[in-house]
Amino acid sequence: MNTREAKQILLLYRGAIDDADPQFRAALDYAKSDPELSQWLREQSECYDAIRTKLRAIEPPVGLSEKIVRRRPIPFAHDWSRIVQLAAAIFISASVTGLLLKWSERRHHVAGPQEIVVTGEVLDMTCYIASNLSGPDHAKCARICIRSGEPAGIKARDGKVYLLTGEPGHSINAELAEYAAQVVTIKGKQSVRDGFAQLQVEEIRKL
Amino acid sequence: MSADVEFENLVKLYYRDLYRFGLSLTGSEADAADLTQQTFYIWANKGYQLHKPASVKGWLFTTLHREFLKGCRRRNRFPSESIDEHTQDLPSVPADCAHQTDSQTLLRILGEIAEDFRAPLVLYYMEDLSYKEIADVLALPLGTVQSRIARAKIQLLRRLSESNLPLEEAK
Repeated sequence: MNTREAKQILLLYRGAIDDADPQFRAALDYAKSDPELSQWLREQSECYDAIRTKLRAIEPPVGLSEKIVRRRPIPFAHDWSRIVQLAAAIFISASVTGLLLKWSERRHHVAGPQEIVVTGEVLDMTCYIASNLSGPDHAKCARICIRSGEPAGIKARDGKVYLLTGEPGHSINAELAEYAAQVVTIKGKQSVRDGFAQLQVEEIRKL
Repeated sequence: MSADVEFENLVKLYYRDLYRFGLSLTGSEADAADLTQQTFYIWANKGYQLHKPASVKGWLFTTLHREFLKGCRRRNRFPSESIDEHTQDLPSVPADCAHQTDSQTLLRILGEIAEDFRAPLVLYYMEDLSYKEIADVLALPLGTVQSRIARAKIQLLRRLSESNLPLEEAK
C-alpha cells in the first residue's frame, strides 16, 4: 500500500463509527507510519466533523413533531397472527352456521303442497288437543268453538290429524262448523312443517 | 406501551434526522417538513410490516428517500465512477473553511451537488448509518454508494474552498 492508495480508502473514513469496518484497518495502520498521511487524515477528520456539526445544528421548525403526531392516521394493528386467528374464527363460524342451516332445513323440512283426500272426523282443535274431546258428545261445543274462530282439524282414519284452513286470508270456519264432529271427506292441499300437517281445504263431502 | 406512545417516541427519536436529510435533499424547509410528515404517515400505516425494531431507522430513511424520488424527476444522472479516478483530484480543505461556513451556505452548496450524489453524501455526514445501511436505504450496491460518496465529497470540498461568500461563524 502506498500513500495514494491509503488516501483513496481513508477518504471515506469517518472516525469511530467506521473503526469496526475492516476496509479501513490496513490504511489506518499505514497512516500511523506516514506523517504526511497522518496530517492529511487529521485535516480530513476535522473537516468532516465540522460539516457534520453544521448539518446536525439544523433544527426542524417548531411544532413539527407535534404536527406529525397530531396528523397521524388512525392506526390499524396489523397483527397477522391475530388476523389469521380472526379469519379462522370467521371461517369456522361460517361453516358451523352453514351446517346448522342445512340441518335446520332438514329438521324443519317443508313439504311442498300436495293434493290429497282425507276422510275423518272434523275436530275442534282447541278442545281436542287440550282435553282430547271429540266425537258426537262434543259436537255442540265443537261447532261453537269452530264457528267462533277456534282452529278446526280433521282426524283421518289412520289417526293422523290435519289442521284445516282456507285460502290464505279466507276463513272457512263457518262452513266447517256445520260439519263439527261429523265424518267427512276433504280434498285439499297438504303442507307439513315441523312435523305438523295442514290441509288447505278445496272441497268437502259429507259421507 | 400503547401504540400512541410508541409512535410519539419514534417521532421524537428520528424526526430531526429525517428533517435534516429531507432538507439536504430538497433545499426547502417546507418540502423537508412535508417529507418528514409523509414518512411518519406511511410508518403509521405500514410500519407494522417491520418486525425488526433495529431496522426502523433504516426503514424511515429509505421511505423518506423514496418519497423524495417520487416527487421529483430524476435528472442529470452521473455515471457511476470508481473512487480511484477522482481521489487524486481531492482538494485540500482546511478545517477552518468548514468551521466558518454556516449551515445555510452548506445546504446551498449541497443543493448544487447532483441529486444522485447528494443523498449518499448527506447520509455519510449524518453518521447515523453504516455504509451497508446507506446502501440499503438508497437501494444501491455498496461499491456504488462508496464511489458516489467519494465523488460527492470531492465536489463539496471543492465548492467550499472556491466559495467566495462571506463566511459566518455558526451559532
